[in-house]
Amino acid sequence: MSKSSVAKPKVAFFDFASCEGCQLTVVDSLQTHLDLLDAVEIVNFREAATLNGWDFDIAFVEGSITRPHDEERLKRIREQAKILVALGACADTACVNALKNLQPPDEVRRYVYGEHADWYETYAARPLSAVVKVDAVIPGCPIDQEEFVEVVKALLVGKKPPIPDYPVCVECKLKGNVCMFHIGKVCLGPVTRAGCGAICPTYGDGCEGCRGIIPHPNENAMEEVLDEAGLTLDDIMHRFTMFNAYREVETGKW
Amino acid sequence: MTDSLYAPRVARLADIRPMTELEKLFVVEFPDGSSLGHQPGQFVMLSIPGVGEAPISISSSPSRSNGHFELCVRRMGDVTGVLHRMKPGDFVGIRGPFGHGFPIEQMRGRDILFAPGGLGLAPLRSLINQVMDERGSFGRVIILYGAKRPAELLFRDELEQWAARDDVEFHVTVDRGDETWTGNVGVITTLFPKITVDPRNTVAVTCGPPIMYRFVLMEMLGKGIPETQIYLSLERRMKCGVSKCGHCQINHLYACKEGPVFTYAQIKNVPEAL
Amino acid sequence: MRLRVLPKGQVPDLVRALMADYRVWGPKAKGPQFAFEPLYDPAEMRLDYNISILSPKVALQPPQERVAVFRMDGGFTVEPVVEAEPTVIFGMHTCDLHALALLDRAFSADFPDAHYTERRQQALIVSIECLQPCDEHSFCKSMGTWTADSGYDLHLIDLGDAYAVYVGTEAGEALLAKYAPQARPAADAEVRRLNEVMSAKWPRFPHRLNFDAAELPALLATAYDHPIWTELGDRCLSCGSCTNVCPTCYCFNVIDSPELSLKEAVRLRRWDSCQLDEFARVASGENFREARAARQRHRMFRKGKWLYERFGELGCVGCGRCIRACLTHINIVDTFNAIHASQHRR
Repeated sequence: MSKSSVAKPKVAFFDFASCEGCQLTVVDSLQTHLDLLDAVEIVNFREAATLNGWDFDIAFVEGSITRPHDEERLKRIREQAKILVALGACADTACVNALKNLQPPDEVRRYVYGEHADWYETYAARPLSAVVKVDAVIPGCPIDQEEFVEVVKALLVGKKPPIPDYPVCVECKLKGNVCMFHIGKVCLGPVTRAGCGAICPTYGDGCEGCRGIIPHPNENAMEEVLDEAGLTLDDIMHRFTMFNAYREVETGKW
Repeated sequence: MTDSLYAPRVARLADIRPMTELEKLFVVEFPDGSSLGHQPGQFVMLSIPGVGEAPISISSSPSRSNGHFELCVRRMGDVTGVLHRMKPGDFVGIRGPFGHGFPIEQMRGRDILFAPGGLGLAPLRSLINQVMDERGSFGRVIILYGAKRPAELLFRDELEQWAARDDVEFHVTVDRGDETWTGNVGVITTLFPKITVDPRNTVAVTCGPPIMYRFVLMEMLGKGIPETQIYLSLERRMKCGVSKCGHCQINHLYACKEGPVFTYAQIKNVPEAL
Repeated sequence: MRLRVLPKGQVPDLVRALMADYRVWGPKAKGPQFAFEPLYDPAEMRLDYNISILSPKVALQPPQERVAVFRMDGGFTVEPVVEAEPTVIFGMHTCDLHALALLDRAFSADFPDAHYTERRQQALIVSIECLQPCDEHSFCKSMGTWTADSGYDLHLIDLGDAYAVYVGTEAGEALLAKYAPQARPAADAEVRRLNEVMSAKWPRFPHRLNFDAAELPALLATAYDHPIWTELGDRCLSCGSCTNVCPTCYCFNVIDSPELSLKEAVRLRRWDSCQLDEFARVASGENFREARAARQRHRMFRKGKWLYERFGELGCVGCGRCIRACLTHINIVDTFNAIHASQHRR
């Protein structure tokens, strides 16, 4: 180990449009991995502590960007952070926030805010990477505790966080699970990014794609698999829409 | 305790020399003073604990070992990125040497044409310096070296030494020059018209980026050098170095075992090789 | 070859006795399917299983294992981790037994891999004869793996109320003597029954390959540029399931992970798959096997040609797991048959 890498990195947590569940998972991991607090110095973590320092090396940012003035705050975080990590699906893929992107923005605003719609300036939800450069992502809704810890370890030794480019099927097979399709269930595991340990299939539910789509999915082949499982093209789109609406709007594909 | 193929020996970075913006030369030694015992063209697996492991070709010649060996490393991935931030005296893990190197015994008495491109000089330098140290037992020595830009030329002091020798025919070119560059400009193949060879008695050796091989091989074959006398060193992903993990497989060949040095005759009908 | 007879009712006692001294792996129900796992109760073992999701290689090359530990303190030290324990793999089918022969060669050739070989040396194999094809996907008869006359320590054949037990090794003999002293030499009637059982087995198993498997290496030698690879590439999800369930696939990744304290790091190896995007990609970004078609071809050539040329064993044992696992119906038998048909069409 390089002797130069002994200083404790200063870490901050921030959030935008999200349920803050990923930060809650971070809080959980601080309890299951007590070494975390020895390894890093947390200087800003609104959800967990009365700390609001702006002198940080690593920023973990949860949430999607949904308002023009969110951008300004995110850019300030970006300027300060040596490493900016998108924490969780809202920050990584815009997750369920992007469901509203499928509707006309004015209608969405009226539906949500009623007569006060004009008071709120919101726009289509987007991932952090649509606004600033993101150095690493921790996918998932919510994030996986162990993966969060692995990402911290990687950053501590100065390497790229080990987020897989391969699909959930790989981890599901390594666990020796019964394939969901073999018991009549639908699963998005063949095109969804692994790293969760195939948690849903392991407990008997098909993957819903919360970790986003792998970099090079074979879309036609996946559609045929789902078609054979009895889904119509509409069903297929709906199935992916839940967690991958931003991709759907941006690319026209699921 | 049963030994593991995947547990490296601990080695120390005796010295680190900057070379270019992206490359540094790492001088590595084992604390017990033992030598690596490699052949030119072989590689090691270099580990940084907790970071990972990467295959790195050995740049120094066995004839100059003095209890250490040299690795010319481009900053490219996780391991090489962290390695570049290390200091002399820091420790790394070493497995190997692995692979099939250059058959130097079969080269003795022959003319040798070296044609490294870019970082391809790193593995070839091991053989070049071995040949220089036993210069009398080889025929003509021709070195054609190409780099993208003058600032990317590796081992500049040695290039100058080779250029200055009467018993070495040395030509260097860059794809794009700059204000200081007065030499050849053009890809490496533009150097081939400058030389003549006795094809039957010439052994050709090349290493470089994948895109380069096709063109350099055409030049070598065009000079009439037999396919069995053209040697290439191929890069592949490697996770074990010992013909198990499968990553370096080139059709039926393992780059870590049958290679990384192959003759053109060995791989010309292996579609994935080039 | 020595032959014994063990009443079926005594198998649980045998397994229980073995569990005291060995880690005993056997087939267990997993939902509607079966998996090889360590047994904690002899009653869990299902010798009537059709096929296991993953092959029993999981007992010898686990999906993930530690291979070394680094301890850092200024410098660092490295400690190899070779985790092996006395093991019995109970109920292995003969297709998987043939696959084991290939794994044995692959891990002991050139540079012997202690992580595998140590486990293997401490493992006793009790295999069992299949009397029915496991389903429509297996093609063990075509691959000559539907039975076995070596590779096991003990081999069971179901005679109805008892198992005929072939003793393959001295270790098997000793195991039987110590843990199943009730096993007795076969009587004439039992030998006759065994012959009937084996004679009845043959016609139940179909040939699915339309040619002799021994021709596979030569057939593939002519098929590198066959259009079928593009077809398979178009269908392939690159999910790696075919290789992960394969009993002869052994490719792996090596992964280093530090502790949070940075005082220790572990080196893991984990199954890897030539079907995944990253498998042949180097740090500069160059991917030496980028097309899905090339990756499927690579798999089939390893199974039908390259492993055979290197180790003298075909890389396919006809278990059919890759066919079952493939959601887009990529079928190795159909592929080989299609190539054979097109090369022999005149």
